[in-house]
Amino acid sequence: MSKKVTPWLDNLLQEIEGIEIRRKDSRRVRIDIAADSLPTLLELLRGRAGYVHLSAITCVDWIDESQFELVYQLWSYESQSLVSAHIRIARDPGVYVSVFDLYQPAAFFERDIHEMFGVYFEGSPDMSKFILTEWNGPPPMRKEFDAEAWVNETFERKEYQPDWLKEITEQGGGIVKSPEEARQKKP
Amino acid sequence: MRPENYQAISHPPSNEYELNFGPNHPGIEGNYALKVKLHGDVVVAARADGGYLHRGFEKLMEGRLWIQNIALVPRICVPDPVPMEVCYSMAVEALNDMEVPERAQWLRVLQLELSRIAAHLFTFGGHAATTGMYTTMYWGVADRDQILDLFEEWTGGRVYHIYNIPGGVRRDIPAGFLDRVSHTMDYIESRLPDYDNLFFTNQVFVDRARDTGPMNQQQALEWGVTGPNLRATGLAFDVRRDDPYLVYDQIDFDIPTEAPGDAWARTLVRRQELKQSIHIVRQVVEKLPSVSGPVRTRIPNPLAWNVPPGETYTRVESSKGELGYYVVSDGGDKPHRVHVRGPSSMHAVQVLEQLAVGARLEDVAQIMFSLDACPPEVDR
Repeated sequence: MSKKVTPWLDNLLQEIEGIEIRRKDSRRVRIDIAADSLPTLLELLRGRAGYVHLSAITCVDWIDESQFELVYQLWSYESQSLVSAHIRIARDPGVYVSVFDLYQPAAFFERDIHEMFGVYFEGSPDMSKFILTEWNGPPPMRKEFDAEAWVNETFERKEYQPDWLKEITEQGGGIVKSPEEARQKKP
Repeated sequence: MRPENYQAISHPPSNEYELNFGPNHPGIEGNYALKVKLHGDVVVAARADGGYLHRGFEKLMEGRLWIQNIALVPRICVPDPVPMEVCYSMAVEALNDMEVPERAQWLRVLQLELSRIAAHLFTFGGHAATTGMYTTMYWGVADRDQILDLFEEWTGGRVYHIYNIPGGVRRDIPAGFLDRVSHTMDYIESRLPDYDNLFFTNQVFVDRARDTGPMNQQQALEWGVTGPNLRATGLAFDVRRDDPYLVYDQIDFDIPTEAPGDAWARTLVRRQELKQSIHIVRQVVEKLPSVSGPVRTRIPNPLAWNVPPGETYTRVESSKGELGYYVVSDGGDKPHRVHVRGPSSMHAVQVLEQLAVGARLEDVAQIMFSLDACPPEVDR
């Protein structure tokens, strides 16, 4: 059993514009491709090379280049190799096409990416919220979203002074020393 | 309301009604919910509803040092935490082009398989409880505890071990530990006939689980099903054998399969995997004394560790299926992006939604347990 993308497929893939194929080892192939050509590539890989298992779709935020990278991990049960297809899309407006008609697992990953990065996938069966149902803020996995700053802006910090603790403190129990006091060395 | 303002609400005539199944329900694994539409007690539609366990791990990991994330990753799947540690460590090692000493690889295999046994015992217990057989649950949890005792002695932690670090493992096994592992394996193996009598050949379980939540191989491949659930449809695929990592290519084990693809088949596959895992553990116990050398390689100062830029996708076979980590480094001391591909992100969402349709309400929990769904992997 061949552990590589077969040579005839290699030749076929070379005809796709803007494609770059790199072999990392006998089981890992990396393909960088223009965003427009990805559905064609996936159709070829699935239909003619047996890459039937979509293992994952990952979104990577390259904020300095103002781009999102989408990475499709495809596994072939026959040739036992993993192809990762990388594309770059513009960060704004952040729209891409769904590959759900080729790979059904894409529905979950696309929904997740839409929720976490705000990338909209045209043609995906469900773009509604799944994990962050009650979240109204910006997509939190984007690099510009600072979770700590958001917490400081949104919530007030409060002193925790319940009545029951006051009573105990007055009797000499509870937290009697502040951390600063506790850290000071004894004379 | 004044009587003159009252307007009767007109419903279209229907016998269907909706029910919230979970998030606080004894039949649900973890904090997870299903919204089911029922006709009588037959499910006509199901929608998975997650997010109750969302802790933002992927975001948190971007703000922590490479080494700090080791303490974070096992929490992504509570019943089976070791594959998370190993998969993340393997990703960091791949980015650094780092070799792991052989002894550390064998120790990792020992950890992975012990964790698999513990996870399967836990799942059997849960599955049995959904069919009303609580004794199996008590037994499963008690026997899992024997393995947690081993972990406690070995790593200091019962559930989260934080033992596998990039470059190897934290420390070697204590003196006499392998004897105790062998003893525990003998004990668990001796318990298997009892489990068979109590649960696996129990007519209540067989009748309830047969033809419940069936899927064929075609559907399983379409839906991205992996692990024991895929093997229960007859396809012998296992990341350990077909995309080998660590020293699994030096270990002898079978990949059990079943053909029917229903809840019964999925559980039987796990039952046979338990036996295979015991077999693997015994091989490791036999092999370990002859493998000497360090248990971890030298790593740079972990507090100022700039991992070379690059990306990698590592996969391991967890007890639930294919677990993948996609890790990107931009050359800094923290990851640029970590994506966790839990096997349950397929099983607990799309697959469960499809399999629940047509089942009776009392079987929904059983289907979820037979898929061995782990909601924290979905929420992350």
